[in-house]
Amino acid sequence: MRLKILVADDALTNVKLLEMAAHKLGHEVVIAHDGIEAVEKYQATEPDLIFIDIMMPRLDGIEAVRQIRSLPSQRWVPIIFHSALDSTEDIVHGLEAGGDDYLVKPASIQLIQAKIRSYSRVLSIQSEVRGYMQELSSWREEAEVQNKLGQHVVSRLLDTKGLSDPMVQWMNIPAETFSGDLVCAARGPGDVLYVMLADAAGHGLVSALTALPLTQVFYGMAAKGFPISTIAEELNRKLKSFLPIERFVAACLAAVDTRNQTIEIWNGGIPDALYLEDDGTVSMRWPSRHPPLGIMPPDLFSNATETVNYLHPGELVLFSDGIIEAENTDGQQLSLHGLEAILGSAPKRQRLDALEQAVIRHIAGQQEHDDLSSIVIQVPIERRQEIRLTHSPAGLTETQVSEWRLDLSWGASELREMDVVPAVLSFMNQIRVLKSHQGQLFLILSELFNNALDHGVLGLDSGLKNMEGGFERYLDERQLKLDSLTDGRINMSFHLHQPDERPALDIRMEDSGKGFDHSALDSLLNEDLEQQQAHGRGILLVRSLCAELNYFGRGNAVSARYLM
Amino acid sequence: MLIKERTDGSASWLSLEGRFDFHSHRDFRTAYEVVLPKAEIREIVLDFRQVDYLDSSALGMLLLLREKAEAVGKKVKLANLSGSVKQVMEIANFGKLFTIQ
Repeated sequence: MRLKILVADDALTNVKLLEMAAHKLGHEVVIAHDGIEAVEKYQATEPDLIFIDIMMPRLDGIEAVRQIRSLPSQRWVPIIFHSALDSTEDIVHGLEAGGDDYLVKPASIQLIQAKIRSYSRVLSIQSEVRGYMQELSSWREEAEVQNKLGQHVVSRLLDTKGLSDPMVQWMNIPAETFSGDLVCAARGPGDVLYVMLADAAGHGLVSALTALPLTQVFYGMAAKGFPISTIAEELNRKLKSFLPIERFVAACLAAVDTRNQTIEIWNGGIPDALYLEDDGTVSMRWPSRHPPLGIMPPDLFSNATETVNYLHPGELVLFSDGIIEAENTDGQQLSLHGLEAILGSAPKRQRLDALEQAVIRHIAGQQEHDDLSSIVIQVPIERRQEIRLTHSPAGLTETQVSEWRLDLSWGASELREMDVVPAVLSFMNQIRVLKSHQGQLFLILSELFNNALDHGVLGLDSGLKNMEGGFERYLDERQLKLDSLTDGRINMSFHLHQPDERPALDIRMEDSGKGFDHSALDSLLNEDLEQQQAHGRGILLVRSLCAELNYFGRGNAVSARYLM
Repeated sequence: MLIKERTDGSASWLSLEGRFDFHSHRDFRTAYEVVLPKAEIREIVLDFRQVDYLDSSALGMLLLLREKAEAVGKKVKLANLSGSVKQVMEIANFGKLFTIQ
C-alpha cells in the first residue's frame, strides 16, 4: 500500500535521507520545515505516517505532536520522532506527548526503511478494519431504517381491538423492537371468548413476520364461530405451507364459553395453561399436548382439544416460555413453580400486574431475554348472561325483504367432518337483513343443531352432564360416537319471509334419531331460570330469542321462528 | 457450542456441549454435514448430556436436520435429555417427531 509520509525537519540532509528511503519504497513524501508547518501540512494533506524532528524553529516537535494529537481524527496516524536527543528522558517525553516510536539520529537508511515497512503493515490492517467497520455501520443504519418501517407496518397489521375486552388482561414485552409473541382475543358470534397466545421461534422481525399471518386467520374464523380445533388445523396448514422447515409457532388457543361454563383448549408448545381459583390455588392445568404449529403435515396434525366444565369463577392464565425461562443475574430461571407462587399470592384481577412486575424485577440488569407475554382471562359464573343479548333495533326492518328458502341435508360423513353451523352462518352473513342478527342466529342454530346431533343422531343422554366429572365423560363419549358415525342425517330448512311488518326467519330441523317425549320440555320451560340444570339452559335461551319454538313428530323435529 | 463425533457401528453420535441456541447454527451444521454423506451411517444420535440450555432456534435446527437426514434415509435420535433441556423438548412435544432414548 502506497503511503503519504509527512517529514518535518529543519535540516535539509535529514529531509533528503528520509525522502530517499520513502521514495525507494514507492511512497509519497510531504515536507515541513518547522513545527507550525508540520501541523498545517498534517491538516492539509492527511498523511498516513509522520517522521518529526524535535528541535525545530518556531514550534518544536513535541508541541507540534501535542497539537496534532489534539485534533479530531477518524483514524490513527503513527508518529515517529527522529531526533538527535538520545537520553531516556527525551525519548519518554516524546512518546508521552503522543509519539508512537523514536529513532535517534543519525539513523541508517536500512533502519528507516524497516520502520516504514513495519508501520505500513500495521496501517494496512487498520485500513482493512476500517473498511469492515464502515460496511458494518452502513448495514446497521439500513437495518434501523427497515426496522422502523417494519414496526410501522406490523403495528398497523396487528389487530388489538379484541384485547380491550373487559374479561381480558394482557402483556407483551418484546426482546427486541419486534415481538415474536402474539396475543389475540376476540368474541365469537355466540359471545364465546376466543384467545390465542402464540410464540414464534426466535425473536425480532423474522419471528414477528412468522406470527403475523396467524392473526387474520384467528380473527376471521373466531368471528364466524369456528371451533378452536378447526382454527388450529387451519393455522397449522397455513404456516406449514409457507414457513421453511426450521420455523414454527408454538400456540395455545382457548375458547371460554361463559354461557355453558366451559373452557376448551388446544395447546401446542406453550407452557401449561393454568386455571386459578379466587383464593389463588391452581385447580386445573392444560399442558402442551401437541408440537407447535407449522411442523406437522396436515394429514398428521392432531386438532384434539381438552374441554372442562368449570364450576367456580376464576382466572385462566396463558404465558409464553420466555417468562418461566427468564434468568436473573445468577442465571436462575423464574420457573413454573415461581410463576405459580407469584400468581397465587396476588389478589385476583391484580395477578397479571404482579407477574409483570416480578418478571421485570427478575431480569433486571440482564441484556438478553426472550419475548415475554401473558394473557389473563377473568372467568365469571354468570347465570343470566343471556340477558346481555339484546334484540336488534327495529329500524333495520323498514325495507321489504325478498322471500327465499334454503334446504340442506347433512349425512354421516358431513356430520363427522364439517363445522356445520359456521358454514351455514357464513352463508346467512351474506344476507343483509340477517347480518346484524348473526349473534342470535348463531346461538339458535348451534343450540338446535347440537341437540339434533348429540341427542338425536348420536343418542347421547344429557343427564350424564350432571354427574360428578360427567361433562368430560360426555364429551369423550360424544367424540367417540361421532368418529365412528356411519349413518344418520340432519335436515334443515330456512325460510325468510315477511308475514307482517317484521321479517321472519323460520328454521326447521329434523334428525334421524329416536326423538324424545317433548311434553317433558313444557315443564322445563316453566321452571325458574335459577333452578335449571346445565343442559336445559340452552334450549331455554333459544326459546327466549324466538317468537315461537315447537317440537313435533316423535320429538325429532323442531321449528323456530325468529323475528327481526 | 462444542460438538464431538464418534461412530458406533452404523450410528454416529454427536455429543453436544454448552448452550444450544441461535449462535450454534454454524457449529451444528458443520458437524452434521460431515455425517450426512456417509453411506454406512444409518442413524444420527444427538447426545444432550452436556447441553445446559436449549432455545427455540435450536429446535428449528433439529427439524432441519431431521428433514435432511430423512432425505438420505437416516434416522435422528435424541439421547440423554434432562433438566431444562428435557422440559423444553416436552413442551414442544418433540417426542412425537423424534425417537428419544
